[in-house]
This record gives sequence, C-alpha cells and structure tokens, in this order.
Amino acid sequence: MFEYDFMQRAFLAGFIIATLASISGSFVVLKRYSMMTETLAHSALVGVAVGLFAGLSPLWMAVVMAIFSAWLIEYLRSTFHLYSDAILAIFLSGALALAIIIVSLGGAFNNSLFSYLFGSILAVNDEDLLTMGVFGGISLILLLGFSKELFFIAYDEEVAQTSGIKVKMLNYLLVTIVAVIIALSIRVVGTLLIGALMVIPSIAALQYRLGFIKTVLLSLLFALSSVAAGMTLSYYYSLPSGATIVMCVIALFITSLVVNKR
Amino acid sequence: MKFALPIFDVSSLNLEINSQKILDSLSLKIFAGEYDAIIGPNGGGKTTLIRLLLGLEQPSSGTIKIFGKSISDFKEWHKIGYVPQRASHVDAAFPATVLDVVKMGRTAKRGFFARYSAQDALCVEDAMRKMDVLDIKDKMIGTLSGGQRQRVMIARALASKPEVIILDEPNTGVDVASQQRFYELLRKLNRDEKLTIIFITHDIGVIADDIKRLFTVNRKLLTCNNPKEAISCEDMSRLYGVDAHLLSNHHHHH
Repeated sequence: MFEYDFMQRAFLAGFIIATLASISGSFVVLKRYSMMTETLAHSALVGVAVGLFAGLSPLWMAVVMAIFSAWLIEYLRSTFHLYSDAILAIFLSGALALAIIIVSLGGAFNNSLFSYLFGSILAVNDEDLLTMGVFGGISLILLLGFSKELFFIAYDEEVAQTSGIKVKMLNYLLVTIVAVIIALSIRVVGTLLIGALMVIPSIAALQYRLGFIKTVLLSLLFALSSVAAGMTLSYYYSLPSGATIVMCVIALFITSLVVNKR
Repeated sequence: MKFALPIFDVSSLNLEINSQKILDSLSLKIFAGEYDAIIGPNGGGKTTLIRLLLGLEQPSSGTIKIFGKSISDFKEWHKIGYVPQRASHVDAAFPATVLDVVKMGRTAKRGFFARYSAQDALCVEDAMRKMDVLDIKDKMIGTLSGGQRQRVMIARALASKPEVIILDEPNTGVDVASQQRFYELLRKLNRDEKLTIIFITHDIGVIADDIKRLFTVNRKLLTCNNPKEAISCEDMSRLYGVDAHLLSNHHHHH
C-alpha cells in the first residue's frame, strides 16, 4: 500500500497525531481532564464550520476556536469554582449546537463537514503535513520541557503551587497545547473520535502500574500501533480509517484490562 | 540574627465567606525552631488558616508576612514544605514510584527542560533516608500503607531543603504504631535539623508534652505558650468546645 503517495502521507500524519495525542493525553488523563478532549474537539468543529462558511482555512479556524474555548473553560473552572465536568458538558453541547447552526446557514458544505466529523486521513495533503509537523513539534517541545512540572501538578496541584511552581500558567499552557493538538487531529481521526486517541492509550498503559516515563512510552507505543493497524485494516478492508483506528485502541485497552486483572 | 525575624507574622487576619466569619482577627508569630500544634473543632478554621499561610486562599483583610516579606512578594516557596491532609489518600493507579514523588520536591528549583542535577539527587536521597523510605524507593506510591505514604510525602517536602514544614492532620488513616514512629521522626527533625514544624492534629494527648506551643483555632485564635503546664491549655481547649481526648479517638475523613 505504500506505493501510493497518499498512503505515505496518511501514515506520516497518523504517526504525528498518535505521538502528540498519546503524550499530551497522559497528562490530560492524570489531571482528570479526559472529557476536556471531547469538548475541545467540538469547539474545533465550530472553527471548521466558521472556516467553511467564511471561506477561511478550516484548520486555522479550528485551532483558534479550540484555544479560545480551552482558555474560557480553564478560566471558568479556576475562577468560579463551578463543577468542571458540568462546564465541559455545557461547552460540549453548546459548541455542537453552534456548529450545526453555522452549517445549516451555509447549506452547501455538508459533505465537506462530514470529513471533519469522522476524519479523512487519505485526503491529507503536503500543506496539512507541514502544519502538523511545525505546530506538533512546538507542542511536543513545550510538553517535554515542562513534563516534570506538569507531572507534579497532575499529582497534587496545591502542593505544586505551594512549592513555587507556576501552576496557573502551566495549566493554561497544557490546555492550549491540547487544543492545538486536537485541532490538528480532526483532519485525521475526526472530531468525534480524537478524544479516544488521546485518552484511551494512556488509560490502557496505566493498567500496567509502571512509573510515569514507562507509562507514557507504553501509551505512545499503543497509539502508534493502533494507528498503523487501523490504517492497514482500513486500506485492505475499505473501512473508515478514524473509526478503525479507534477500535484498535479499544482492543488494546481491553487486552490491557484483562492482562492486568487482579 | 535570624531568630529575631518570625517565619510567619500574621496580624488581624479576617476571612469571610458568604458573609460568614471563618476566621476573626487572628494574629500570630511563629519563629524559627518552633514545634507547634494547631487544634480546634472541625469547621473551626484550622485548615483554612494553614491554606492562608501557604497562599492557597486570600484573606478578606489582614496581613501575612513570611520571612519578613509580604506574602504577595514572597518568592522563596522552597523554604516552606507542605504536607496536605489528603496525602494518604492518593489515587492507587497514579503512575509514580516513591522516588518520582520525592523528586517532585526538587521540581520547582529546576526550569524548562532542565534535568535533575547531582545535588538534586543527593537532596532526594538524603530526604528519603531521613524519612526511612530509601528501601522502598522503587515501589509504586499507590501500593504503600498509610504510614509509608505519609513518610514519603514528608520526604518530598524535605527534598526542597525547607526551613519550615506544615502538616495538615498528618495521621489521618495511619495506624497507632506508625503514628508514634512518625512523631519521633518529626521531633528528631525539629531537634537535629533545626526544622520548624507546624502541624494540625487531633491527637493532642500524644504530643502534649512534646510541643512548644499550642494554637487553638475556632474562628478566633488562642495561643498557649507553655503546653507543658497543660492543665490550663486543656481547660482552654474545652472552653473552645474541643474535647481533645475525645477527638483523638475519633478521626474525621474528608
């Protein structure tokens, strides 16, 4: 299958997203922000809708909307002491409602939107790859650079704060990175499925009860192999790529659960 | 000399939440080398007082100075170690070894991309040795007993080489044998390392002849400067609606 350029691009894009999603996902899961990924994906969809409606780049508008929502959610969470899961639920359905309205106003681009809902990795072009590479690279450097601090915050936010770590700044940084990664990923796995690629590899890796670095590496391995397996299966059996990737991650998760049952 | 300057200097501290007075004009000074206990009924504000001292909450009015600096200008947080109450209720699946957790005590001193230095490793090992957790350094934090986990949390606080450690009900969920060992360790840190120690407790009976000062917090603060002559302090605490001995057998979980 690698004789086709589009498959080479698809695998490259898939591996970039798997790397970003699983590493950032480890922090997201430990901070109990799992639902944040779904919410930001829906916010990114609003950006896509706006982009298609206004004739702007859907990818860029997705990045902007996802970051904006991430900051607003973090602000509401830290300032008003609302239940954070309730805030996420409000944003999740609110964003979807807004996206649907913008889509129905536009009328003509329903098909195009469909590819953002469920991903169309085979349609990834060189420009998409470049954007993913550049922003993915920056996100990864920031994540790894602050990994010690983010790990401490995930373990105990208040003790981290009293030890002099800039918790508030780093929380904003993390949600910003996650927002960017999600916006980059919706082309590949789609709005409705990116949450799975971020959260499930790391939950599966946690079942092995290893130290932090080993857990992150294992979740990276799970994400990469799910993408590889999912895309191969989707190529040979004509299955939708995003959904097949997610089913592979879930298979790994169930295996991890069973293997580590005690 | 340093002893002239209090570590914590709190004056006329008030905290109101929803027009209810949580803390009412508290003033206190804590100096280097002290070994102090804070007692009081649940909901009396003792945890809140500690959270104010650590900058985790803001007072309605009043001032807090740490090492002579206003709390908003204070930057040297590594001088203050904090062991929170929930330390013994860690998520069992959290992917951290004892060593990972103790290293967190050095994290704030490192910056972006900086690796842990040889000196960090020494501080971490020293802290683990003092709290007697060196032999379990590769165990997962979620698999430890309450007493072990408590000592790991204190080792983490010690790793930043603090001058004062604040502990919130350090014995919640810890068995009696571990408790006594635990107080011996604290006392040793205070005596040998000149570490200032402040802790919230219900076990006033256990530590009454050990501590330097006893603070009773029940919206207002009463300071008992000589707990060794403990009768008046016992009376005082009863006056405040706290039966310390009763409370020592009656742990509250949050």
